[in-house]
Order: sequence, then C-alpha cells, then structure tokens
Amino acid sequence: MKRLPWFAWSGIFHSAWVYAIGTPVQLDPPLGLPPLSIPAANPLTREKIDLGRRLFMDRRLSHNNTMSCAMCHVPEQGFTSHELGTAIGMQGRSLRRNSPTLYNIGYHLSLFHEGRELHLEDQVWGPLLTKVEMDMPSIGYVVEKVRLLDEYKGQFEAAFGGPVSAERIGHALASFQRTLISGNSRFDRWFYGDDKSALNLREQKGFEIFMGKGRCATCHWVDEKTALFTDHKFHNTGLGWERSMFPERNNYKVQLAPGIFVQVMGALLKSFEPPQADVGRYEVTLDTKDRWAYKTPMLRNVAITRPYMHDGSLSTLEDVVEFYDKGGIDNENKSPLLMPLKLDSEEKTALVAFMNSLTGDNLEALTRDARSAPVTLPVLSKDAADLYMDAVLAAP
Amino acid sequence: MIQCKNRFSRKILATALSAIVASGMTALPATSLADETSCSPFTPLIKGQEDLVYVWTLGVEGVGDGSDKLVTVDVNPKSRHYGKVIDSLSVGGRNEAHHVGLSDDRRFLWGGGLDSSHIFIFDIYSDPAKPKLVKIIKDFVEKSGGIVGPHTFYATPGRMIITGLSNNKDHGGTTAHVIYNNKGEHVKTVHIPTAELNGVKGDGYNYDVAINPKKNAMLSTSFTGWNNYMMDLGKMVKDPEAMKHFGNTSVMWDFKTMKPLKIFNTPGAPLEARWNWGKGQDFAVTTAALTSKVWVYMQDNKGEWQAHDVATIGNPADIPLPVDISMTADGKGMWINTFMDGSSRYWDFSDPLWPKEMFKKKIGSQVNMVSQSYDGKRVYYTSSLLGNWDKKGQDDEQFLKMYHWDGKDLKLGFEIDFYKEKLGRAHHMKFQARDMKSLKPLHAEAEGLDNLRVVLNAASAQ
Repeated sequence: MKRLPWFAWSGIFHSAWVYAIGTPVQLDPPLGLPPLSIPAANPLTREKIDLGRRLFMDRRLSHNNTMSCAMCHVPEQGFTSHELGTAIGMQGRSLRRNSPTLYNIGYHLSLFHEGRELHLEDQVWGPLLTKVEMDMPSIGYVVEKVRLLDEYKGQFEAAFGGPVSAERIGHALASFQRTLISGNSRFDRWFYGDDKSALNLREQKGFEIFMGKGRCATCHWVDEKTALFTDHKFHNTGLGWERSMFPERNNYKVQLAPGIFVQVMGALLKSFEPPQADVGRYEVTLDTKDRWAYKTPMLRNVAITRPYMHDGSLSTLEDVVEFYDKGGIDNENKSPLLMPLKLDSEEKTALVAFMNSLTGDNLEALTRDARSAPVTLPVLSKDAADLYMDAVLAAP
Repeated sequence: MIQCKNRFSRKILATALSAIVASGMTALPATSLADETSCSPFTPLIKGQEDLVYVWTLGVEGVGDGSDKLVTVDVNPKSRHYGKVIDSLSVGGRNEAHHVGLSDDRRFLWGGGLDSSHIFIFDIYSDPAKPKLVKIIKDFVEKSGGIVGPHTFYATPGRMIITGLSNNKDHGGTTAHVIYNNKGEHVKTVHIPTAELNGVKGDGYNYDVAINPKKNAMLSTSFTGWNNYMMDLGKMVKDPEAMKHFGNTSVMWDFKTMKPLKIFNTPGAPLEARWNWGKGQDFAVTTAALTSKVWVYMQDNKGEWQAHDVATIGNPADIPLPVDISMTADGKGMWINTFMDGSSRYWDFSDPLWPKEMFKKKIGSQVNMVSQSYDGKRVYYTSSLLGNWDKKGQDDEQFLKMYHWDGKDLKLGFEIDFYKEKLGRAHHMKFQARDMKSLKPLHAEAEGLDNLRVVLNAASAQ
C-alpha cells in the first residue's frame, strides 16, 4: 500500500501547529494492519479521543436532538446499520447510500462512497450540515450548541487548551474514529502469524480463489505483510448504472413476515418517493469515465457489516459472490477488471468461508468502548441560536 | 399542575380498578362498556352527540406554518360552525405527531411525537373549544431509559401508559411501555419481553395497548422502530433489510402487575389493540398491517389466552395495509381501514371466530384513522398514516371526513381539506363535549362499586 506524505496533509479547518496538550496515545496496529498514519496537526491524545467518543454518541449533535453519528454507525451492528439498505436521516429523509462501516476508517485515503472528502477532520461536517442527515443549520450553530451543553464544559480546554471551535470538533471526532482499528483476525493469524490451524481447509481454499480465479484481490489488495483489502480506487461494477438507468422494477419480492414473501407490483408503489439519482465518483470529478464508480470497500469484518455494496442492495456474502461471479452488470463504463468467473458451488462456498474469517478479535471491546459514552443527555432549554442572541443582546 | 378534580375523580377511577384487586377479578359483572373509538375503559365517555373533534395534525414543510398542531373541529350539527375548524394550536416543530390519548378524567389530552419523542399535554376542559398547551415533556427519552417514539396514550387511574416504538441505541424496534403519572412525571419503564415465554420468543417490539379491567388483562401489539416508521413507505417496501424489522408478536399481560402472561406469534406487525365490550364476550382483536390478518384473542375453557387467525383482509400481495380499526359499542361490528386503497370496510363480528366483510367504501386516495360515535351513527376518517408513509403528489390527500352510517351505507356529512386550510396531515382524532357535565360515568361506577376499598397505589403505581 502506498502511503500519502502526511506532511502534505491539509484541510480547511486545520492549523499548522502541533498541539502539545493532553496525554499522547500510541496506536499499536494489530496483526495484519500497517501502522496508522496520524496527521501531524492532530496527534492522538486520550483527551481528544474521549471527547470525540462523547460527540460521536451524542444525539444532540443533530438539529432536533434525535440523530448522532452512532444512530447510522451503530456500534453493535459493525458501526454500520444492519437494518437498512440505504440510510435514513433527519425526520426520516432518504439517503442514497448504505452507511459504511467505520472499522479501520483511519486507513481510508478518501471518505464517502464516491470519495468526495479527503480527511477525517473535515468529513464530520458533511453529515452534520447535510439536510438529509443531521441538519444542523450552520457551522457556527454547531459550535454554539456544543459550547452551551453542560457536559462539554471544560472538555475542549482539557483536550486542546482552548474553547470549542469547528476545527476542534473535527479533530476530536477524527481522533475517536481512528481508534476503531480491528485486525488480528483468524486470517491474519494464519497468513501473517504462521498459525496454520487458524483457517480450515475450506477457508484456505477460499483464500486461494480470492487471490486467483475469483480475481477479488485485483481490487481488494493483500500485501506481503499487511492487508487492507482495498486499492483505494473507484470502480464501476454496473450496480449503480442499473439503479440509475432502470430505477424501478416491474415487481419486488417483499417479506411480509419471516418466511412470508409476496411479489409486489411496482405500479403499487408509484405514489411514493422515486429513487434518487446517483452517479457515484462522477459527482466529484465530473469526468464521464467515473460515472457510477464507487470506492472499493475494505473487507475486514465483512461478515458483520451487512448489507453490502454502496446501496446496501445485497443482503448476504453469498449474494455478493453471485453478483461478481456473473461479472457485474455490463455497461459502457464497467470496470475492465470485472468478468464472469465461472465459479462452481464449492468455490463460492469456500470464498464466503474465507471472508467470514476476516473478523477482528476486538469487536466487543470497541463496542463497549463506544457505549461508555452517554447517548441521551438533557437538551437545551431553548434553541442554541436563541440563547446566543439572548446573550449578545444582553451584553453591555 | 395536572390534577383530576371533577366527578370522574381518581377515587372513582381507582374504585373501578380496586374492584379487580379486591375481588380477585370476579366482582365486576360482564359489562357492555364501549368507547367512542378506542378510549381507555377508565375514561368517561360521550354517549350522545359529540361537540368537538380534536385532530392531532402533522406539520408539512411549505404548508402554513409547517408546524404540528392540534386542530379543533366543531361537529355539533346544531352549531353554526358545524363542520368547520374553530381552533388551531401550533406546538412548534415537526415532531411526527401521531397519536393522542385522553386522561382518566377526560380533562387533558396527551399527544406524542414519534420523531422528537416530545409529549404535549393540552388542557381540554377549561375551554374545550380552545385547548391550551399546558406542558411539554422533552425528556421522555432520558427519563424512560432510552425509549423513543411515544405512541399510544392509554389512561389508567392516575396514570398514563405510553407505548414506545423504538430506542435511542439503534432506532430499531426493541422498546418498552413507559408509565407516567397525571402530573407528567415518569413512574416506571416496563420493557417488552425479548426472552422466550410459553414457547414463543419475544421480539421486544411494541405498538398499542388495550386493557380489560374485568379480566385484569392488557394486550400489547408490535410495529417497527424509528428507522422504518420514519422512512418513505415505497423506499421501505423495496428495501429487503428494512422489511426484516417488523414486530411479529403480541403479548397478553397481567395488567395489575405489568408482567407478561403469554407471547403470541402474530406475524406481520399486529397494530391496533381493541377489546370487545359486548356482554359476555371479552375478546380482543388486532389486525396485522403486513400480512393483512385479523387476530382474535380469547380465553379457552382453562382460562388460558389463545390467539386465533380468523380472517384475511383483501389480497396480502397488494399490501392493502390494514391500519386503524374501530369496534362498535355492542361488539358486533368493526370498521377496518386499509390505507393503500383508501377504503373503509365494515366487518360483521357477530361470530368473532368467523368475521365477515359486509361493506366497503373508498374514502379517499389514502385513509388511516377511523373513529365512530358511541351509537355508531357517525364515523369520522382522517388520511395521514405517517409523515413519510403518506402517498406523494396528487394521491397525498389530507382530510377529515364525517359520514353518517345507517347500517347499510356511509353518506358524507362534511369534509375538511387539511391542505386547503393550510393545516397539514390529519392524523389521530379524539372527541370532546363542550359541557363536561354531560360526560357519562364509567360503566364500572354504574355497577355500584363505590363501596369497594380504594387501593389505587397498589394497583396502578406498580
């Protein structure tokens, strides 16, 4: 894996100096993961991580106090949501894409499915300010609201040596998210740890297919000493193209209750919200070659981060293998790396078995750690903007 | 601030309840108690002409002030304002206004927001034609221990049982009943079972409750969590993951102790819970929104509650989505609304194990709530199901309609276009009388139970 020169890292909110406040934290990468690059302008400290955890879990970070980061990135559900294909935001507004897992998010070189954001420190402002997500009215509103909440009194001073600011909110949240590292899976112990009994024969066969006939490693890279299972690039598999070009189907298989399914005619649903347009990476680059291309996801912990694909349209790993076995969906921009695989039933089973071996050994600990922060705390007696105006108008 | 001081006092209400406790469930004779639609049996009734209908209305961005509001409609045909909106009280914000419930003395109306989890308490006795917002509970989630989405408000003596629909951990469907007192203070949170009981595993989901005091039985049903009830209906139906997360159980509780007695497997989101108050009947009913099944709950000859799958409404593959239901006072008929085709259906429940659909009429492009007068001659309908489940575009009709029912046909009395009036989405209805003295006593009181010892705290403060 190439490393970016972190000294070149910059963002709109970032100061140039290195904070010398707080208790330094060294993240030791578990087996199978490379060292995590930490931006020089935002070194990890215990105080920032604790503050970021609190912000991450706090539902008051949304305009109407109902949504936190953790409501879509649920700790118990692999820091994604098992219950939704595509996410739901403020007042039930529809998002276009699946909530990505945050495991190992600190290793990503770009953020969001189409890679529109570059740094964790800046990424937070997308969900916070987007109307369909947390719907905060403005950056200043967020800063003022956090400043007014009792539970944050003194916390920013302890972490940063100064009061709440937009930059510090981003730094704290980024610091916490960088701690969501998970490795030392059975695969790691087998491949990098020389524990030959860590994978059974079927799983080993699955790895062989992953690296060879299955062509998975073409995009989900495995290096000699570590593996992030991504090339950090954007590919058109055809799924996004099909969703855009044929957004409605004639009928849908719908589960009414466990084991009870019906075929519902698409015409019955015409009175409801139509699918939203989504052209993937093209929305960032405006380059037609990037139409319907989405970032290669990391596969670590893939067994517990369902549903799959950028739109959460595939429920199981078996569905994913079937999709790629067919070579994706043909379209003008489909990645040339995709082609029919002609895997037999045993090969598909082995491939899924291998992917099930990628689960890290610390997931319960990460969940417990996240849940150590409170979720619901007293809301402000008045709106933050009103309290601000009351204060400035009362000032001499 | 919120006290019961009229003649339908806590004492009388408690007396009715204490009869259960003091008599070992056998002192109360079979009653023919009925509600106007779905009132708690602990709430005094309007058995004559209702004067007012309150409509808990969802604000819609771009429609009027966009705020949720309590709309008051004059429905007395002798009034010069008959069929007109006479008051609109905005509460601020779009909270996903959903259900309202009357307090045990019918002096206060509690309304919930399924999104914000705020609870709004209105004074509806000082001037019933002009309700006053007297309290907003904003810390329901915090006080309840993380319960989200206050849905049903079901009065018991001195208390309000509030069903939660979701939780603050994952916005899924695992949730609880939350008990408040009449002052608006949290008393207790009772979680819906998730363990196995009687061979059926609880799913922890919740929706509605209904109590039969004579049987000391409370039925609760199940729906889905915030993720689904806040989502666009069409998007949800197309999302296989979302459709896996609906409640599939209902629970019969010991009302007095609030302990689950039995869990029933009633797949596909069993929603409204109603008891039949017909003499000697004592069965409860629910309809499952997704599977379109009608379930009837009866005690067998050993006294054990059993759930019976007695009928199917329409064609489940069309997802007719049975929503609100309303039992007639004599317990022999029930209105069932199906949201997707905008129809109201009258079912003959003379034989509860073999109910039959007798009549069907299209009310609008969509219809949700149905409330009938005590005599069953007037039937009121509203259109909104949930803010994001309502249809879009031209099919998004929002109305209150009143029909006259003669046993054969529904004839339109009046209708109010809630969009034309710049109000929003019309949801839950409750009736009120202008003269509170005209309210009829609890049936329990008429049965001469005043001499029974009041043990309110023992019964309702559990």
